[in-house]
Formats: sequence, C-alpha cells, structure tokens
Amino acid sequence: MGQYKKIQDKTLTAMWKYLLKKEFRQFLRDPGMPRMVMMFPFLIILVFPYAANMEVRNIKLAMVDNDRSDQSSLLMEKCASSGYFEVKSVSASPEEAQRMMDDGRIDAILTIDTGFGKYLEGSGPMQDAMPVGIKVNTVNGTRGNIGSQYLNACISGFVMSEKGMDSAPSSQVEIRESYLYNQFMDYKLFMIPALIVIAITMMCGFLPALNIVSEKEKGTIEQINVTPVSKTAFIVCKMVPYIAVAYFMVFSCLLLAKIVFGYGCAGSIFSIIIFTFAHILVMSSFGLLVSNYSENAQQAMFIIWFFSMVFMLMSGIFTPIESMPEWARAITYANPLTYYADAMRGICLKGSTLADTWFDLVCLLGIGGLTTTWAVLSYHKTN
Amino acid sequence: MKEIFAFILKEFRHIFRDRRTTLIVLVMPVVQIVLFGFAISTEVHNAVIDVVGDMSDPEVRKIVERIDNNEYLETGEFLHSMSDVETRLRKGKAKAAVCFENNFEDRLHADGRGVVSIISDGADPNTAQIVTNYVKGVIQSEQTEINSSMTAATGSVSMRPNVQLMYNPAMNSSYNFVPGVMGLVLMLICTMMTSVSIVKEKELGTMELVLVSPVKPFWIILSKLIPYLVLSIVNFVSVLLLAVYVMGVPINGSIALLSLVSVVFVGSSLGLGLLVSVISSTQQTAMLLCGMGLTMPTMMLSGIIFPCESMPVALQIFSDIIPAKWFIIMVKKIMIQGAGFQAIIKEFCVLSGMMVLLLWVSIRKFKTRL
Amino acid sequence: MDNGNKSVVIRNLVKKFGDFTAVDNISFEVAKGEIFGFLGANGAGKTTAMRILCGLSRPSSGEGTVAGYSINREQEKIKRHIGYMSQKFSLYPDLKVFENIELFGGIYGLTDKQIAKKTDDMLKALSMEKARDMFVRDMPLGWKQKLAFSIAMVHDPQIVFLDEPTGGVDPVTRRNFWEMIYKAASDGVTVFVTTHYMDEAEYCDRVSVMVDGRIEAIGSPASLKEQYGASDMDGVFTKIAGRAERE
Repeated sequence: MGQYKKIQDKTLTAMWKYLLKKEFRQFLRDPGMPRMVMMFPFLIILVFPYAANMEVRNIKLAMVDNDRSDQSSLLMEKCASSGYFEVKSVSASPEEAQRMMDDGRIDAILTIDTGFGKYLEGSGPMQDAMPVGIKVNTVNGTRGNIGSQYLNACISGFVMSEKGMDSAPSSQVEIRESYLYNQFMDYKLFMIPALIVIAITMMCGFLPALNIVSEKEKGTIEQINVTPVSKTAFIVCKMVPYIAVAYFMVFSCLLLAKIVFGYGCAGSIFSIIIFTFAHILVMSSFGLLVSNYSENAQQAMFIIWFFSMVFMLMSGIFTPIESMPEWARAITYANPLTYYADAMRGICLKGSTLADTWFDLVCLLGIGGLTTTWAVLSYHKTN
Repeated sequence: MKEIFAFILKEFRHIFRDRRTTLIVLVMPVVQIVLFGFAISTEVHNAVIDVVGDMSDPEVRKIVERIDNNEYLETGEFLHSMSDVETRLRKGKAKAAVCFENNFEDRLHADGRGVVSIISDGADPNTAQIVTNYVKGVIQSEQTEINSSMTAATGSVSMRPNVQLMYNPAMNSSYNFVPGVMGLVLMLICTMMTSVSIVKEKELGTMELVLVSPVKPFWIILSKLIPYLVLSIVNFVSVLLLAVYVMGVPINGSIALLSLVSVVFVGSSLGLGLLVSVISSTQQTAMLLCGMGLTMPTMMLSGIIFPCESMPVALQIFSDIIPAKWFIIMVKKIMIQGAGFQAIIKEFCVLSGMMVLLLWVSIRKFKTRL
Repeated sequence: MDNGNKSVVIRNLVKKFGDFTAVDNISFEVAKGEIFGFLGANGAGKTTAMRILCGLSRPSSGEGTVAGYSINREQEKIKRHIGYMSQKFSLYPDLKVFENIELFGGIYGLTDKQIAKKTDDMLKALSMEKARDMFVRDMPLGWKQKLAFSIAMVHDPQIVFLDEPTGGVDPVTRRNFWEMIYKAASDGVTVFVTTHYMDEAEYCDRVSVMVDGRIEAIGSPASLKEQYGASDMDGVFTKIAGRAERE
C-alpha cells in the first residue's frame, strides 16, 4: 500500500510535464500542421493584403460621340488622358455601347450629344441642359458611383475651362484634406492587423476543436478519463501548443510586415500580447464548446466554420459596422472579433494604449469568461 | 445498372442517417445568406463628424447644419483643440473632424478665401475617403449657394451632365453582395460536404468492400456525388428564394439559365471536394484543407468584397481558378442585368471546363490509389 | 466500509438514463487477486456498470467501493488505483512506444527514473526491446494489445479493468494475453474482464452473466456449468442470455 500512498501524495503538477510533452510531440509530428503554421504568415503578409483592396481602379469606359465636333473630341481626349479610365471604345454606336455594358465589358458610357459644341460657344446664362450623358453600371454601387464622379469631374473641368469660368469667384472655400495614421491611404496597412486576427481565429478555433473531437472518436479521451488526470489539466495542456502557435503567428506576421513593407507597430507590444491572450481564450474555449456538442468531426467542422464566417464577416474587418442595419450591429456586439480587430488596428496603426482600448478588452474578457465557463460546465456534463 | 442504384441508395442512407449533420448543412446557408446579405455593405451611414470652430460664426453654423442634415453624416462633439481631435479619432469615437479657421466668415468674404480642413481617420482608407467626400460635397453645396447668390443666375444645374444609373438605380448594395455571398456559401458547403466522402471510407476500411464489387470507379464516384448534388440543389433553391424574397434582389434574366449555371457551379464545387477527399489521407486533413485552406482564398480572391479588377495581375490570375468567381460574375449578369446566354459564354465555358477537369482528375487519382 | 480482502463491493447499483434502466439493482463482490469475468450480450448493461466502477459515471442509486473507495464520492481516488484497457483504445498511434509508456507513467505520478526502469522492464518482459522507437500505429494489433495491457499496469494498480481486451486477435496472441493476465493475478492484482469469447470465460475464477441490466447468474465456471447442466460456458451463456427481453 505504501507505493499507492506515495503516488497519491505526490503533487499533481508533475503530470503536466508529461501531458505537455505529448501534445507537442503530436503537434510537431502531424503531417500538415507545422508546415501550415509556417506558411500562414507568408500568405497573410505577402498575398492577401494585395487582394484586399477596395480602391476603384481601371474603370472601363466607352465613349459615344454624336456631336463629332472639335470640342467633343477634345473632351474625349481629356477623359482618356485623366488616368482614371481604361478606354475600350471611342467610336461605338449607342446600341453597341449598351451591348458592351450588358455583356460586362465596360463599366461606364460617356455620350456626347449633338449640340455640345454650340453649348460651349453659347455665352451668358444657360438654361439648357448640357448635351452630355453618363451611364454607369451600378450593380456594384461603389464602383458605379466613383466612376460617375470621375467622369463628372472631367466634364465640369473641361466645360469650365472652355467657358473661361475657372477664375475663382470672390468667395472661395478652400478645403484641405488630411488623413491621420495612414497618410498614404494604404489599404494594406489597414488589413494586415485584421488578417492576423483572422489567422488567430482560425488557428485557435478550428484546430483544438478538431483535435478534441478526433480524440473522442478514437476513444483515447476515454483512456485519459480513467486516469487521475483532471479534465481541466488535460484541456489546458491541449491548448498550450496552440497558444504558442498563435503568438508565433502574431509576431512573425508583425516582423514580416516590418521587413517587407516597413510597417512598424505604433502601439506597445505588451498590449498586443494581452489582447491576443484574451482572444485565444475566447476562441479556444469556443472550439471546446463546439466539440462538446458535436457528435463527430464533420459536425464540429461545419459548426466552427459557420461561426468563423459569421465572426469574420460581421466584425467590421471587411466592411464597416456603421453600414450594417441596426439588428446586425447588435450581433457584432456579441462577436469577439469586433473587439479584437478594433483593438489590433488601434494599437498597430494609431498607437492606441490600453487606456484607449479598455472597453474592447473588457468585452473580450467578458465573452471569454462566458464561453470558458460554459465550455467547462458542458464538458463535465457530457461525461 | 442495378448495382449502381443500390450504391446510390446506400449513399443516400449514409448521409441522411446522420440527421444532425444534414440539418446543419441545410440550415447553415439560409442563416448565412440572411446575415451576410443584409450586413455586408460598403455604404457608410451615420459617420460621426467632430467640429472645431467658432460656432458663433454664421457661415460655420450653416455648414455644420448642412452636415447634420446630411443622411450619411452625424455631427459629433464640438472640440477646441487639435489634440482633442486626435484623441477622439484614436479612440475611434469619430470618423473625421472639420476644422474651420478663426474668423471664417470674415476671411471668406473679405479676403475671398476661407480655409476648412477635413481631418479623417485614415486607418481605414476606404471609409475615410468616402466620409471625406461626403463632407466635401456638403461644403461644395454651400459654396454653390454662395456663388449663386453672388453671380445671379449662372445655374450650376446646367453644368452637370445627365447621369443615368444602370441596372441598380437605387444603389442597393445587396445587388452587389448577395450574389457574392451565394457563391461563397454554396461553394464552401458543397466542398466541405464532399471532402469527407471518400476519405471517411478509406479510414473506416469500408472502401475495400466497395472496390471488390464489379462496379467501375466512375460509377462509385458518381453514386457518391448524387446525394450531395441533391442536397446542394436544395440549398441553392433556398438561398435563391431568400435572395429574391428577403433581400429583394430581382431575377431579370431567365431562371432556366440561372439554374443551369448553378448546377454547373455546384458540380465543380463537388468536384473540388471530391479531389480533396481523394488526395487526403485522413478526414481531419480533408476538412482542414477545405475549412481553412479554401475559406480564406475564396473570401479574399473571388471578388465578393474586394473587386478582382483592383488586384495585381498575379492574383487576378490566381483568382481565375476559383469557381466562385465565375459563378458570381454570371449570377450578377443574369439576375441583375438580365443578360442572356451569349453574354456569359466565356464564364460558362470556363466553369464547365473546371467541372469536367476536377471530376476527371479525381477519378484518375481515385483509380491510381487503388 | 471495511472489506478486508475484497477489491470490489457493489450493493444495489442502479443506473437510469431517463426512463431506461441500464443497470437494474445489481450486487456482487470481487476478491483480491481474483479474475472476474463479466459476461453479457451487447446492450445488457456491462459497459455502463463498468464505467461506474471506473469512476467515469455516477450511479443513480446504490453503494459500492472499488479498491476501498466509494463509487459515489471518491471517484478521483478510484482512478488512481485502477488500470483500464479497452479494445477500442489502442494507445496514441502517433506516439512512439516509449513515449506512450512515459506519458501514462507520468500521468500516474512516476518519476523519470521510475519511468526509465519501467520502460526497460516492460519491453524486456514483452520481448519488444527493438520496438521501443516504433510508432504504435505501425505495430501489429496483437503487440498493441499486449503493450496496452502492460501500460494499464504501469502504476501497479490494485485492480485492472479489461473491456473486451482480445477482440480481433489470433488464438496464439490470445493465449499469450491470458498468460499475462494470470501472471498479474498471481501478483495479487484483481482482474475484471468483459469478453465475448466463452472459452475465455472458462479461464476466469468466477463469472457473472448480465441480462437486461440484471445479474442472472454468478459463480465459478464449474458451478455454473453444473447448475445449468451445460458442458461448456457457451451452453450456460446461451441458456441464460436466451431469456433476454431487450436487444
């Protein structure tokens, strides 16, 4: 009996070492995992930022000239040389141009009607409408809108200068624009912190959940359950490699961004560490929660995927929260990514401090506390 | 032929016996379409604009009132110093600030020049630009009013060309995003469903049973695909109904053509899933490949949120291999522009080619793995 | 409860899942060093009962002790003093042999030194010295099961629970396996084993047969054969299990 007594007395801390060893061995031995972890930062920094670009460029334009005057060709030249447009046709008939738009080959049509030359020559107050028409494809509203704005600017500029109206009126409001934090308006800079957020979400949501479900399916979790290992210790040890991976991703991404683009982080690394930890807590407990309620790996996968999509698309990462309807905004308040992405962008771009972002942190920790408690409770109940 | 029906029946039983998974697969796209269809929009509403300036100045007050009345803008706080502006922007409490110089009205009328600066939170360049343009528009309309009051009747109305908004005159952003979300959700669900089909049997060892039967690999694969095809078509129909009746996206083109395009799209997605299933050794790998490996590229590169036209050429070429991209282009043309078949010939051929290629490669791989 | 030489004492154990009574008021005792066979058709309630004894699940009512600890209140203590091996479980396939030994040794609180010694002894006893660095997934099934049994014994438990340990292996390996069981029992370890093979039931000191959640018969194989007038355990089992009302 003496030996049993000894085992019993021995503090349980010793077993942590062995559980951790097991998790790391399994993680490193996985055929795909380490490679995926190494590749992710490169994808996130070197590929996706180039795709994430809302800038409207290369608006494809067709011009229809019904006036055939010197002025109309001058206007067409001006539009073509403005640099905003990719001119696809300058001599189409109105029908042809319309067909091109229907087929999706052009985004906008500029039509100069007869009488444009006369319109310009006419002096004094004019009540006639300008004989110029713009047609834009607004299936993508932003693109259409910007296209028409560019065209508008070209035309009014041309008309003004032709009519000698570019001398400023006596009272002119001068507008100066400036953009803080991102003076070159580089969309990459804006997306990189958010892409890091997405990577961490996927890593810490998908992988631990699948790992636990697969131990459940293989039956190895049952074997652990009959040993004195507490469930909490088992789960915590399972999380450790993923936590390590998450931090590796954050720092390698930041480092790569610095090396490749020269983007430094404006805020403190310490705040990033804290926020990342809170987010790992949320995502991994969420993954555990899902694995508790799933019957098999496929279900777990679907559910996690479903929520990752919702988390990503309703967090203000890709499209602003302000543009969502009221009820959708309510959902974003329950979304951990809203807070993590907001904080990461604030810290990296604006140099926000913990004092600036405390609200994000409180919400993130609140959600984390909720999911962790729920996950632990449901985990105990399932056995 | 009889064996094939037996196989198809077996696959149906397999899939529908797991009621919960079937339910998940059918409910998921419905919820996602509703959520994303409404939530994804790049229009900016209720952007908070702070003001720095002397509110007793009548000209300043006029402009601020105009900002307040603008449907997209909202006045925030009235601040006194630039450092306050900076703090509010840093905390994300405001999107931009308009700063009027001192004695704005006097300068405007006496010197003929008044300076307004718009300082915006450039962290998000897209929103910053949109908000700045809104504010500029507001100031310019005030300018027009000043001008017209000064130079009698040189109406700037006639200075504007006649603008015609095609296909989406109300500028609904759902017209742009709903087809995108449809493509994204359908493609990923189809792929993820199929990706476990073959690898699961490999893991369980039941593949041998199937392989010793006299049925050809082609038919085995086909019988596996049919139940998923049925599920996917159900999904497509429910997603389409939602898009039309809930999101208000019209079907201006032919429904028959739309259905044809969708079947080809679903087919190529299933082919992709099948390929993943054939090449992976474990279920876990297959699911990670689809869930993590496909989600990000599809979301980023297929033109759902970020237009493909703005990407570097290398990425545009890469985006060409994602089936969802072609589907989305075609859906927009058929549903919104009401285009006929000849307008989508190119896209249709590409997608059909993908489907044939993916299925062919999976069958080849499947054979060589035996 | 003081039960001097009893390893397992169970009184009026009941386990209900909603309306369904999986284990219906069973009582039995197992002596130290005994090989106790736990028989029953699929769904008879064996697994449920065994899970309660291992501390994996709580009884709805009833009392009992395993290795001297209450199955109601001291489940964590029970876990420290039992070993468990099931046919489903075949160790961690992506860990090497010695790593599996190290893991379970470590979990049960052995020191690194003890683990090193155990590993050497165990591999020697199994004649698997060469397989030390092999991945468990690459081992033949028979080896895996012998190794799993040894690992279940790594912390010298008082009782070892074996859940259909010999499923799917050849007769020679099964014989070897039973030799290991005898060896363990002769060292004073109580062996609690469920099985489908009736010839294995003959090897047990005592067996119990569960039908519809109740223990219908209990005793040594010889006495049961006599009682039911059968020539072998197969006959005994067929006669008793034939009364089952549920599948």
